[in-house]
Amino acid sequence: MERPIFKPIGTAVELLDTPSLIVDVALLDQNIATMAAFFADKTAKLRPHVEAHRTPAIAHKQIAAGGHVGGIAVSTIGQAEVFVPIGFNDVFVANLIVTPQKITRLCALANQAKISVAVDNANNVSDLSEAATANGVTLDVVVYINTRLGLYGVDAGQPAVELAKAVVKTPGLDFAGLMTYEGPILVDGPDELAKQSIMALQAVLDTRHDVENAGIDVAVASIGGTSNYEIVGAIDGVTEVQAGSYALLDARYAPHRPQFKAAGRVMATVTSRPEPGYMVTDGGQKAIGADTGSPSIDNLPNASVKGLSAEHGSIFFDETDGVNPKLGDKVWCTPWDIGTCANLHDYMFAIRDGKLEAVWEVSARGRYR
Amino acid sequence: MDNYTPERGTSVSELETPCFIVEVDALENNLQVVADTYRDTVCKMREHTKNIKSPFLAKMQMEFGGTNGGVCTAKVAEAEVMVQGGVTDILIPNQIVTTDKLNRLCALAKHGDIKVCVDSKENVQIISDVASRHGVEIGILIEVDTAMGRAGVRGPEAGVEIARFTLGLPGVRFRGVMSHQNVSDDKSKEGRHLRSLETFAYCIQVKDAVEAAGIPVEIVSSGETFSYDVATQIEGVTEVEGGSYALMSTGYEYMTEFQIAGKVLGTIVSTPRPGVAIGDIGTRSIAGPSGMIPRVDGLPGVEVESIHEEHIVLTIDGTTPLHVGDKFKLLPAHQDMLVNRWDQYVAVRNDVVEDVWDIPGRGCYH
Repeated sequence: MERPIFKPIGTAVELLDTPSLIVDVALLDQNIATMAAFFADKTAKLRPHVEAHRTPAIAHKQIAAGGHVGGIAVSTIGQAEVFVPIGFNDVFVANLIVTPQKITRLCALANQAKISVAVDNANNVSDLSEAATANGVTLDVVVYINTRLGLYGVDAGQPAVELAKAVVKTPGLDFAGLMTYEGPILVDGPDELAKQSIMALQAVLDTRHDVENAGIDVAVASIGGTSNYEIVGAIDGVTEVQAGSYALLDARYAPHRPQFKAAGRVMATVTSRPEPGYMVTDGGQKAIGADTGSPSIDNLPNASVKGLSAEHGSIFFDETDGVNPKLGDKVWCTPWDIGTCANLHDYMFAIRDGKLEAVWEVSARGRYR
Repeated sequence: MDNYTPERGTSVSELETPCFIVEVDALENNLQVVADTYRDTVCKMREHTKNIKSPFLAKMQMEFGGTNGGVCTAKVAEAEVMVQGGVTDILIPNQIVTTDKLNRLCALAKHGDIKVCVDSKENVQIISDVASRHGVEIGILIEVDTAMGRAGVRGPEAGVEIARFTLGLPGVRFRGVMSHQNVSDDKSKEGRHLRSLETFAYCIQVKDAVEAAGIPVEIVSSGETFSYDVATQIEGVTEVEGGSYALMSTGYEYMTEFQIAGKVLGTIVSTPRPGVAIGDIGTRSIAGPSGMIPRVDGLPGVEVESIHEEHIVLTIDGTTPLHVGDKFKLLPAHQDMLVNRWDQYVAVRNDVVEDVWDIPGRGCYH
């Protein structure tokens, strides 16, 4: 468990213990409002994916802002078990749930909230049905279509139609619709973004058409995310977009998504200045996360990360402007992937106007199963 | 927070996944190797607990033997976990520079022998100021940069200067020198030995220079898992900061005397295409620093193709068929980051849950 020194509410941010995940509430609210405003007048709505922050305080803000379907998406049952008891009553476990224990947990949650789950094969449909019937609940089932990511999922077209048919005729399950996750599309230029988004999107929309032709209603067509919500969210036939990273943003999305600001950053402290233009900080891989990329350094001229060790950040910067950080000075790091970073912390420190406003628990940290 | 505590006696095939497991036979083998290595040597193991984050496991090594009774921690919060867990001889081979952290460290010094590493006079001055206010004494070791180019003094003169400066200040006591070095890139034993000798020499040079200035050097703390067997042969080294050896990972597999004890158990959730199986272990749960990819444990013909946030893509050539619901184990590329993603060790022997151990140091970055 994270053991920071907890400072009083109102403490100036630079006096907080480091390395800590600091959230600028004004920027967070602005990001959430930007996304909500986009969906306000669209047929498609947002379904905030809370895996990117795992924090009820942020999920509540996302719901309060409007523009959504009335619920959230999670990636594991363990996450759903955090959010359902605190009042989130429409939760989409956008993942495959295959083992008997987990299916039982899913059914238990379905007694407390509207629960949707993804499937990509008929055996799984039977297992879900058996458990749902035995537990006297109904699960909303969404057929997961494999598109751009090539991970799991049934193929678009006839295989998806067959699976939809299997769900429809199975007791205990309601066929809800179709989804895909095409992954972050981080490309230069709106044309390429649209092209790649529509490629994935078209497979789902065509399949939707096929399923409807088979006489089956499709209530849900879920696709897209932070990288392309404005493209897929404006297209007829899409009903929801599962986006999460936009709330806190990160260094991976920042260059591609200028409408959102980096609201979640790690504040680190300079602990060694062994050479000119070079510093070592207390923010390393364990506190920032570098599973898929290095953080960006925000408050030093021409700073670049030489490397992140487990516990240290090694940072080059430009001393020519008279910049000469001393021991104890703060360095702001925008993580490459906010989902990785949020999962490393038990607390987020929410600041407004440079002062501590609240400490939020990252309640779903470590909820992998 | 993950709060999974399966019943003792549960078979691994019944565990909910992904699940971080520790195979106790392998762990005990690793602890025994260290106990045997340091049984009759002057140099002893000071286990680096940033790798295990558990005073319970640190004490397990002490019971096996080979240690000097102390541990390293990377952070003040980790030191707190160790001291509160009954392990009171602490070396933090890291720089603690802020007053609030030093206040916390000085509180610990009332219950244990607390030592930190410095690489500047400025840092010694801050520690002295805070320790004096608290009426405690903090041990000071000089960190020497060897070949990592990270923190640490860049030569003997700077080391002597800091040692002299420390002697003149209240609340601090000069104890010795410390260095990290990364020689793990060289996988041959001979290569590791040569490279270790080279890098340790920088640290020994500082020790010699400080002694030549008339200042006794009590502790020379250096070496890690990949030089644990070299350090004992280097005159002057008093302790080794090994950490990775306890649970191991594929990155150090060339050290065949150790076995990989920390693994992640997963379940196949989809077989979407012929020759492909998808498992429920992703970078979130196994950690993949710098794109290091884990390996499948003991399933011939099953390889890792790619890893995603929540899933892993396995290729199967048919030698070992995999079906939805089947369990598999992954060997981590780096155990340090892996432990930090979990709140419990599920300890298994012969694929049956023997015990569940807390990881109280998880997330202790402060």
